[in-house]
Amino acid sequence: MSDQLNIHGASLSRRGFLAAGGALVVAVALNPDLAGAATPSNTLDSTRPASWIEIHADNTVLIRTGKCDFGQSSIYTAYRQIVAEELYLPVEAITTVISGDTDRTPDGGGTFGLLRGNVLNLRKAAAYTREAVLELAARKFGVPRTEVSIANGVISGGGKSASYAQLVAGQDLQLVIPISGGLTSFGGLQVAGSPPLKPVSAYTVVGQPVKNPSLRPKMAGETIWVGDVKLAGMLHARVIHPATLGSTLIAAGQPDKTQFPGARLVVIGNLVAVVSADEWEAIQAAQQVAADTKWTAWKGLPGHEKLAEHLQNKVDWNEVPTTKGSFNKGDVAQATKPHKLHSATYFIPFFKHAPISPTVSLADVRPDGSVMIHTHTQNAQYLRAGVAKMLSKPESLVVIRTYAGSGHYGRSNGGNAGSECESVLLSRELGQPVRVQWMRGDDMQWSTQSSAMTSTISIGLNEAGKIQSYKADHKGPPMQDDRLIGALLAGLPVIDAPSLKPSVPIYALATMVGDRWSYGQVANVAETGHCTFQIGQRESQINVGLRDHSMRTPIQFQQNFPREVAISEAAALAGADPIQFRLDHVDDPRFTAILTRLRHESEWETRPSPAPNASASGTKALRGQGVSIMLRDNGYWACAVHVAVTPDTGEVRVERLTIVTDPGIVVNPLQLKRQVQAGSLMGVSQALHEEVAFDEGAVTSADWSSYPILNMAEMPTIKVVIAGDANAGIYGQGSESANALAAPAILAAFFDATGKPARRIPLRPDYVKAMLAA
Amino acid sequence: MRTIKVNGKDRQVRASDDTPLLYVLRNELGVMTPKFGCGMAQCGACSVLLGDEEVRSCITPIAALDGKEVTTVDGLPARWAKQTGRATTGALHPVQEAWIEEQVPQCGICQFGMMIKVTELLEKNHAPSDADIKEALTNSGPSPHLCRCGSYAAILDGAHRAAKLMAAQAKGGAA
Repeated sequence: MSDQLNIHGASLSRRGFLAAGGALVVAVALNPDLAGAATPSNTLDSTRPASWIEIHADNTVLIRTGKCDFGQSSIYTAYRQIVAEELYLPVEAITTVISGDTDRTPDGGGTFGLLRGNVLNLRKAAAYTREAVLELAARKFGVPRTEVSIANGVISGGGKSASYAQLVAGQDLQLVIPISGGLTSFGGLQVAGSPPLKPVSAYTVVGQPVKNPSLRPKMAGETIWVGDVKLAGMLHARVIHPATLGSTLIAAGQPDKTQFPGARLVVIGNLVAVVSADEWEAIQAAQQVAADTKWTAWKGLPGHEKLAEHLQNKVDWNEVPTTKGSFNKGDVAQATKPHKLHSATYFIPFFKHAPISPTVSLADVRPDGSVMIHTHTQNAQYLRAGVAKMLSKPESLVVIRTYAGSGHYGRSNGGNAGSECESVLLSRELGQPVRVQWMRGDDMQWSTQSSAMTSTISIGLNEAGKIQSYKADHKGPPMQDDRLIGALLAGLPVIDAPSLKPSVPIYALATMVGDRWSYGQVANVAETGHCTFQIGQRESQINVGLRDHSMRTPIQFQQNFPREVAISEAAALAGADPIQFRLDHVDDPRFTAILTRLRHESEWETRPSPAPNASASGTKALRGQGVSIMLRDNGYWACAVHVAVTPDTGEVRVERLTIVTDPGIVVNPLQLKRQVQAGSLMGVSQALHEEVAFDEGAVTSADWSSYPILNMAEMPTIKVVIAGDANAGIYGQGSESANALAAPAILAAFFDATGKPARRIPLRPDYVKAMLAA
Repeated sequence: MRTIKVNGKDRQVRASDDTPLLYVLRNELGVMTPKFGCGMAQCGACSVLLGDEEVRSCITPIAALDGKEVTTVDGLPARWAKQTGRATTGALHPVQEAWIEEQVPQCGICQFGMMIKVTELLEKNHAPSDADIKEALTNSGPSPHLCRCGSYAAILDGAHRAAKLMAAQAKGGAA
């Protein structure tokens, strides 16, 4: 094969013959000039990412993805299934998954929307690969391409057949595929073109309950987690973060040399740390130094107890342009005066991502200026760009290696991951590898939060009890602060904060309307998003304040919650059963199907709320039922919860939670079930317990007592019903949705049990008692 | 120097008496399954068995081990082999095996402590109820064992599966 073959816009060439082995690797064409030059063996050059797929002569397949695993297993299960499907191979043939490392993986972009759009890179790369191999087979068999077919990994034509391995054996083949985007940009690279994708009707691997192969080494203790990485000559560091979110350093304390002879203080601007070769010494010395370190006083936060009032009345919402919902229709203002009107204001507090193990990372800044970082991050290439910016060095000098780590459900510390920037700065200062482990309090007090939001909802009902108008005004700070905290403290360059005219558009202040409208029968809909600056950031001496970043189901969590609680309250105003009320307003048959199924699966009692025996007082537990629905990333969700409320103690127990989902094509029912169970429980945790506490200067949630999460004794009985509509022809998201359903359903159930509306979370006993007394 | 017994072996350690066991295991002995979570016995990620009791290694100074053997998840297979008089064949402990079969973990960082606590329970109670399992993982130690991912439903399935596997293997069933 001396020529280059055109494979649906990709280019296949043979670079040579091999005495042993053989491989087909997929490389990228960054632009026509570079097409032939891109190599699969990546270097430190960000313009030359490694290949997505390698087919080896032993008939095994290796895949690479820039996405990381956070415990949902999709890159080890769904991704392998989808690639195997396109290659017409069994899933077991995909033996290796390399993920996240910036020098060894091709995508870039963040780990989110794994099945929404990101899997398309591997899926298309696999389709290009299969088509290339079919072309090779046609040449080998001496038949036209149209006479070649593939089944069960065997390629046949003209009475001959061969495996992938036999077709690549002895050759060094390279398939260069077209791409767009930028490796270290926010969205990463996208595989371009339209190779023919396997028809969904022919699927055999997608839909199977494939187990997660990363669990055996993890549970056997063989997996190296990020916290387990050891570098020769490394120092352990603990960072002493400022006293408040706006303080600057007056004077750092000194480690007591007699007590801690091996400890050393490092100060870079407002970044204060203690290092030692001995971790326990570093911890103790840091505590001693922290107690002796002086910071300026600062007050610039409203305090969490006044947050709702602050958002509703103190913020100037005219500073930032408003955003209109893309599903707005009709004219709410001109709609006929409603027969009945439900109008109320709802509130979601700040949440913490709260990984069980706080961020930990290691950095080695070498004399030649190259930087190697070992971490667990949701956006490795982007972190690489951020570190390069902080150091004012080219991206090509920075390599990020990724490991298993603690699930943090969103980009948490420093907007990206966490301690990396601090370990880099300390390693550069000390000329040794440095491991920075944040302590529990560092994570609670210095990571980003999930944004708070307050929403005012007005629902007009006509005489027939149907919704004639829906108006929602959502107000909250932004949730996209990607600035590295270590760079901020050290006074080094950072990406723009969320602002009015940032150099990168994603940092423009805006509260998007992110909750897909679900009630198609409603004629008049007006949703508006209002944004402001991050609370306390502009006032902070160090430009910090309450930094916010996306957390599981970002923005839709904040906006679906008030909508669904309000819809349940409107159903009560209409005297209608809340499931029937929803059925009477949706116009999508997939919603009708899951709501009907939910009514049956949850043993729902069809009647209006509140329950006949509802009461706001007494020592007896009262039962209530509530429902919520959501449409996210092509996935349809409906949830029913049954609660027990004891009015006099304010205790709310979630006894049962039933969730029905139609995510379209179900890639892996086993993993989806586990994701949904777990996600639902995170939602129960948020609804019952979670709220970031802060005073006028600092976050005061510092540990698991001051930021409690759900424990096992509090878990309800969970029933997950997967009712995917394969005819949808598209993969819906799995894990990121389930957590948003619980809170609005729990609040509706609370209203059903007590007859009193709850319009904020968490349903902590003190808040509950106040709601019931109101 | 002090000698402590970890996963069946006597190990010499240099760390000072007040050093929490967690850092000695991880940094001096290379025993990595106990994870740092909070450093305050609030989460259970660092749990180990001290003798037959689950303790939080992040707050247990090595001077307080009282000569008892420390077992981490790394040492569970050998512990089970010894308890059942089987050869150490490289098979995992039934609790580990159940965690894999039931696909219990999401991220998995808390599961080392969860498996230790469930092992402690199953060594004493061969057929626990849902309530027994929830009680053990919530109220029997210094704090509940916390999972941010919300894998509690899967943990319940895993614990029941482990109880069955242990019963079958203790009777001399296949490894």
